[in-house]
Parts: sequence; C-alpha cells; structure tokens
Amino acid sequence: MSAPTSQQVLDVLGHIKDPDLGRDVVSLGMIKELDVSAEGKVTFTFELTTPACPVRDRFKSQAEDAVGELPGVTGVEVRMTANVRPAFSRPKPSEILPGVKQTIAVASGKGGVGKSTVAVNLAAALRKSGATVGLLDADIYGPSVPVMTGSKVVPQQSNGRLLPIDAHGMKLMSFGHINPGDEPTIYRGPMVGKAIEAMMVQVDWGRLDYLVIDLPPGTGDASLTLAQAVPLTGVAIVCTPQDVATDIAVKALQMFRKLNVTPLGLIENMSWYVCPSCGHRHEIFSHGGAESAAKRLGVPFLGAIPLEESIREDADAGTPVVISRPESAGAKAFVEIASQVAARTSIQSFRQLPVINVH
Amino acid sequence: MEITWEDGSKSTYTGEQLRWACPCAECRGEAGMQGRLARVQTLSPAELRVHDVTLVGQYALQIAFESGHATGIYTFSLLKRLMA
Repeated sequence: MSAPTSQQVLDVLGHIKDPDLGRDVVSLGMIKELDVSAEGKVTFTFELTTPACPVRDRFKSQAEDAVGELPGVTGVEVRMTANVRPAFSRPKPSEILPGVKQTIAVASGKGGVGKSTVAVNLAAALRKSGATVGLLDADIYGPSVPVMTGSKVVPQQSNGRLLPIDAHGMKLMSFGHINPGDEPTIYRGPMVGKAIEAMMVQVDWGRLDYLVIDLPPGTGDASLTLAQAVPLTGVAIVCTPQDVATDIAVKALQMFRKLNVTPLGLIENMSWYVCPSCGHRHEIFSHGGAESAAKRLGVPFLGAIPLEESIREDADAGTPVVISRPESAGAKAFVEIASQVAARTSIQSFRQLPVINVH
Repeated sequence: MEITWEDGSKSTYTGEQLRWACPCAECRGEAGMQGRLARVQTLSPAELRVHDVTLVGQYALQIAFESGHATGIYTFSLLKRLMA
C-alpha cells in the first residue's frame, strides 16, 4: 500500500478541534513541518499556543490515533512544541513593553485575599511549563513579591534602564526592590500611576511570553494606569469564598469590563482547610462563593486553592509552593489554574482590536 | 477618522463631530460648572481638525486636534453611541 499524501494527513488532523479556540488545529496553524516518507512514516510538529496547554496530552494522542488509522501509515511521530502568540492581532507591536507577548493582571478588589500569593505561583507555574515569564509587582504601598520570591536585592542598572531581578527562572520587578527595608512609600494617586508606568517603561523586560502583573487592591489609580498604558490580555480576579470578598471581587471585575479588559475568570483562594491532626476538611471562609459569582457574571471559574500552611511557609521562605512542594494539593491547584489562565489567554491572540485610520 | 470594529463593521467620523463630542472636563464642565462647549457657539478650523489619535489601553482613543487640544479620552462605547 502506498503512503498517504500530506493533504490526506492534514484532512484527518483537521477534525481535531481546539476546545478553547473553537477551531480546528490545522486552520489555526498548529501543524508544522509535516513530512510523509515513501515508507509511510509521518512526522510533524504540533505547535501549541502555550506550553501550559491543558489539553496537550489529549492533542498528542488524538493526532497519533487519527494519523495512525490512515491506510498506508506505518508510523507516526509527533513533536509537541509551543509558541506563545502575541495578544491581539494588530498591525504593529505595542510601544510600551514591545517584547512582551501577553500581559496578565491579577486583581482582587479586596485586600488580603492572597492576590500576591496567587500571582507568584501563577507566574512560577507558567515558568515551570516552559514559558519565559516576568512578574511585575504593581503594589506600590504593600509590595510582597520580594519576600515571596526570596529576592530582596537592589536591581542593577544598564544603559539607564533597570534590569529585572532573576529568581526561580523568572524576571521580577517590585517597588520593594527599588525601595527596600522598612521605609514606606508615601505617594498620592498621580505618583502611583507614574511609578507603575516607570516599572513598565524603565525596566528592561526583554522578550517574555507572559508578564504577570500583581495589582494592589482597589479600583483606583494603579488599575486605571495599567489599563490605560498597555493593552492587557486579560485579568484574573482572586477572591475568598465569603460574601464580603466576592462582592468586592465583582466590583473589580466590572471595572475591568468597563475598560474593555477581558476577565479571564475568578479564582477562589482559601477555599478549604484540611486539619493536619484530625484530617477533617473545614470550610473556614465558606466554599463555592467564587464559582457562583462567576456563574452569575458569565465568566469562567478558574479553580479553587486550599488554605495550606505550606503555601504560607514557602511564601515567607521565598520559594513559591509550586516549585518547593509540587506534590502538595495547593501546588497542584495552582498548576491547574495556570493552564486554565494560559488557555483563556491564547484565545485573545485571535482577537482583533479596532483599527483606526485618520485621513 | 475611520474605525474598523472587531466585528468588521466600519464607522467614519468628521473632526468637527469628534471635537464637539469631546468628553473632557474642560469641554463638558464638572461639579455643576458649565463646560467650554456649552459656552461657545463656534470653534476655529484648527480646533476641528484631527492631528493624531492614540489608543488608550484597549477601551478608548485619545484624540489630539491641530489646536493642541488633546485631553479627551473617547471610550469605544462613546464612539459607538455617536454613530447610533
């Protein structure tokens, strides 16, 4: 039996649909370097839109099965790779952060719900999947990233620009690096905006697949400056399950909607606690609040993170739990959420922003 | 100025139309005070010609006129309303 043609291979692969993008993987340009040998051995590259793809393994086996069933095929070799595409199809790259493909904001509205812990672990999980990742701590008044990443050092300068700090394979910048120690940053609103802009423009971020931005609580200066300065790919909203937190999270989400920033979804933190002595599951702050709020607002629910001593301990010790204890329930929850966030982010690569022409 | 929206539809605006719709505090007024656009009857030609347009995040346009006036941030929802 003779080997199939490349077109026949593409035809069967065209039946594989990307569940998030809603289109087949061939028209999305994910199949590359296809080769069919005279003996019927088929090799190709399957290029995902993110290394943190939640359906990576499913895609691989679907592709192997579909091609393997073609008459004349004697072997299938699929190389899985990933290439993060820039957010939005646009004529020219953004002038601010030109080397950054995707910017993901982490916000909450309310303080103390674990935004920074989520942002740090989300960034670390994306890094672990193989992406190049930066983390910008936009909380000018209460910067937590330096402690949580064990990177309390002053940034170096090069050609008048600040170099981000390298920790756990990620590039970091925080006001806690620029203004370390016990000295508070005492700024009025307009200064906060300037400081955040400076952390984007005056820091040499270089090329990044993802820049995760840890926002301060509230719906004011910091969030507004950010939404005005860069076309954010989307925002993930963190809240704890109780009403007092979900109510404020909803306000934050609606603010970003007004600014035309896509809500990537809600994350429920401190969702449950397993008592180490009795093994009982306690729902200290209630449970499921974020999921029902997400349903009400028509946005994805990205997942729930348990309240674990190890998450706090590792944050204080300066290593994100996804790196230090990858087998813990908390770390697994973060990794799962990161791949959900990455999948939602990929969708934005295929969105077209309005195009303006002046005659 | 012409905008091609995400769904492919197009809207065309004149500089005059945009200038009179300027949403900034000086033009609209604030805290119960009348704005400039409510006080003047005519604007000079330089005020009505669009000089430059910059995207603000992904929700609005900042439009600069030849007169130098550039404080208005026109949200996409405002621009859509102007066409309705």
